[in-house]
Amino acid sequence: MDSINRRHFLKISGISGGGLLLSAMIPFGCVTEEKELIDWEPNFFIRIQSDNQITFSCSQSEMGQGTSTGLAMIMADELGAKLEDLKFVFAPGSEEKFQHLQDTGGSNGLRMMYQPLREAAATTREILIEAAAQKWGLPKSNLYAEDGMVKEKGSDRLIPFGELLEVAQNLSAPSEIPLKDKSDFKYIGQSVRSQKSKQIALGRLPYSIDVKLPGMVYAAIQRCPVWKGSLISFDDSEARKIPGVIDVIAMEGTELQAMDYKGGVRPGVAVIAENTWAAFEGKKALNIEWNLGPNAQKSESDLKKELEESKTNNSIVSFDFKEGQASFSKGKKILEASYESPFQVNACMEPLNAVADHNGYKVEIWSGTQAPSLTRERISELTKLPPAAITVHNPPSGGGFGRRFFVDFVEEAVILSRQLKRPVKVTWSREDTIATNKYHPYRVEYWSAALDSENQPLGLSYHGVVSRPGGYRPYPYGLPMIFHNRLDYKEGNLLPRASWRSVFAHPWGLGMECFIDELAFEAGQDPLQFRLDLLDKSEVFLQKRLPYVGDDLYPQKLKRTLEMVGEKAGWGKSKEDNVYQGVSAFAYNTSYCSQIADVSVVEGKVKVHKVTAVIDCGLAINPSQVKSQVEGSIIWGLSATLKDAIQVSNGAVLQKNFHDYDLLRIRECPEIEVFIVDSDDPPSGTGEPAVPGIAPAVLNAVFAATGKRIRKIPIANEDLLG
Amino acid sequence: MAILSINGKRYELDLPDNMPLLWVLRDYLKLTGTKYGCGIGQCGACTIHLEGEPMRSCTLPISALEGKKITTIEHYADKKVLHPVQKAWIEEDVAQCGYCQSGQIMGAIALLDKKGRPNDEDIYNAMSGHLCRCGTYLRIKKAIKTAAQNG
Ligand code: FES
Ligand code: FES
Repeated sequence: MDSINRRHFLKISGISGGGLLLSAMIPFGCVTEEKELIDWEPNFFIRIQSDNQITFSCSQSEMGQGTSTGLAMIMADELGAKLEDLKFVFAPGSEEKFQHLQDTGGSNGLRMMYQPLREAAATTREILIEAAAQKWGLPKSNLYAEDGMVKEKGSDRLIPFGELLEVAQNLSAPSEIPLKDKSDFKYIGQSVRSQKSKQIALGRLPYSIDVKLPGMVYAAIQRCPVWKGSLISFDDSEARKIPGVIDVIAMEGTELQAMDYKGGVRPGVAVIAENTWAAFEGKKALNIEWNLGPNAQKSESDLKKELEESKTNNSIVSFDFKEGQASFSKGKKILEASYESPFQVNACMEPLNAVADHNGYKVEIWSGTQAPSLTRERISELTKLPPAAITVHNPPSGGGFGRRFFVDFVEEAVILSRQLKRPVKVTWSREDTIATNKYHPYRVEYWSAALDSENQPLGLSYHGVVSRPGGYRPYPYGLPMIFHNRLDYKEGNLLPRASWRSVFAHPWGLGMECFIDELAFEAGQDPLQFRLDLLDKSEVFLQKRLPYVGDDLYPQKLKRTLEMVGEKAGWGKSKEDNVYQGVSAFAYNTSYCSQIADVSVVEGKVKVHKVTAVIDCGLAINPSQVKSQVEGSIIWGLSATLKDAIQVSNGAVLQKNFHDYDLLRIRECPEIEVFIVDSDDPPSGTGEPAVPGIAPAVLNAVFAATGKRIRKIPIANEDLLG
Repeated sequence: MAILSINGKRYELDLPDNMPLLWVLRDYLKLTGTKYGCGIGQCGACTIHLEGEPMRSCTLPISALEGKKITTIEHYADKKVLHPVQKAWIEEDVAQCGYCQSGQIMGAIALLDKKGRPNDEDIYNAMSGHLCRCGTYLRIKKAIKTAAQNG
């Protein structure tokens, strides 16, 4: 008998079939072969079978951001198929097919795939139309594709795609591939409900945490609580007494690689068990001796010191925009401010997990990762097996927000499966995901401004995270600016880094949008009008870095969102008692978002009543999902503004679970109204652009309400009292 | 040996008494619609109904459940017609990643069973124990009201 049920025998009555325990869940993305069918795969996104099954193979990861729905809509529209008829699979990681474009981050999925996907679908459609034209002996121009069929204009004649394959599969692509006109779209631009919505409502969307393979064991890992520490020894005698615990083994870490998405598995002790709970309980019963290493005495205050020192010695200018340096020699007065934001953790609702089956010459993986292609590459490096021997199934995940771009949690499952020679599921407990994870870095950003004798700003100077020579700096304003060399911690990271929804745009946005507000106040101007004027003084800012930053920054687009949000939120109009407004404007990649927060401060307590946001994300493929992403971004940012921080003491994270890293809850959620700028530009991202702007909008409103500038998040009650 | 009644079926389980129901559902009974989020009753992802009351299955040892009626999201998934709450969830396009939503839906169904027309305060009281990292709260509130109207 398999060891999964060696100790505990389970009897089930009322259900037929005793093989329940050993039956595997059918992995999402697994397509069974049906030999007698013609099965045509004209490209890597589409597969059409002679029984008229049309399968859309989604290259991008789905983690709740809705990209898979948007892509399916694009596919259905351009191909001429019914959205509800598309069978949906997620493509396993494959650099050969999709390059690193498959790895989903930076709110880039829809933007990067819009054009290639349309072309792939349109090519397929044109081949099918050509096939029908040949079959019927009619000119192509008389035919069109709709609802998975080729139809003749002005007649009842039609033929399903599936019946055209015999001809179609031997045709080459026509040289002219017309793309559809916007007016011919049936889905794009509509708030379509996805197939996923129904699966979720039924509790049936399959995540990797739900996977169960025959012979699979469950693992939980106690990772070293301090980054860069190591394992000395452990006593597992109590852990082994826990019913269901099979084995306890030391877990070696992996080196953090130059590209920090890879490696950085913390050393630890793995408990192998017959179920997740036994693994978790076993972990709690371990007695471990660690060497806590070089970070053992450190906390954020050490980082702050390091940053301050580097700032003082940082005279290298990486970019002098519009003669920022000259503006400082003309200045009569200097205004300075610094903005501090803590470590944060993604806390995806689905804890990190991965299932790996390493059978010696082949590795099969199930994991909701944002980077299936990168994962495959890394696992190939780690196991020294060729990429072709690695399959990364990529089911939807319960939230990614950047964290699932990193491969370490998959590395763990592969290492254990290699050692145990059987399928292993590693599940992180919530405590693991809060206390021994990878983190959004602690940052301090330093801004200063040269003012003339009338307190009007002449130029800005900045030391912070967005300053790499030649790097991406989304700066929209017409004010001269000195970017100094990027500030880094001298002694490396106290905690390993993870991407966290909007990544470094968050500290950058916090500083910039608060400081601009401070400048407006000094200059005696309305903060919204002040920004509009600065945007008018600006030109297109060159920032294009293909393919990851899709376009240059157009200040006029940002201006439009700002004007619109002013109207929609009633900026400058009288408000209820105690309610004050704060504004922010932010350009993120090729999207633009302005926000106004309505806030009251009573006895030092900040209450956000309402947030109004306007986003320009190019063509909104699915407006309901665009709004959903903006709402989610605002709620995400409010958790960080009002509640959460990861704090470090003696190198270890103090927070443990949701009781002390408590996300915004429904009762605390303000009213949010989102407006989308009508645009025919190609679609751009929506998952992150609204995150950086919410903290400054709230802080600026707090200033309007109290006259106090808060320059540190989360907002502390004490700072507003007295 | 614990004998449990889940979604109208009887299960005889030879598992440790203190094992939380959540892990029995997920790792042994293939009822994976119920999710693990925190294990300490803080997030609501594991919500089931015990005798019609919403409970966190991560903190319910199976020894305490004998003879009690347990209902999971699968009970509502296997029916021919969707529950008004499920319908409203689709109509209002609530879910993002979806991971918290089985728990949210179970919380909402239990609320509407007690209060046909909940106001905001009723919704906050019933749903504040449910975290959603994707930030779907406004749509949850709206969907509960829609379900109340249609249900
Ligand atoms: S898993 Fe039970 S409340 Fe979070
Ligand atoms: S929908 Fe993702 S956590 Fe709620």
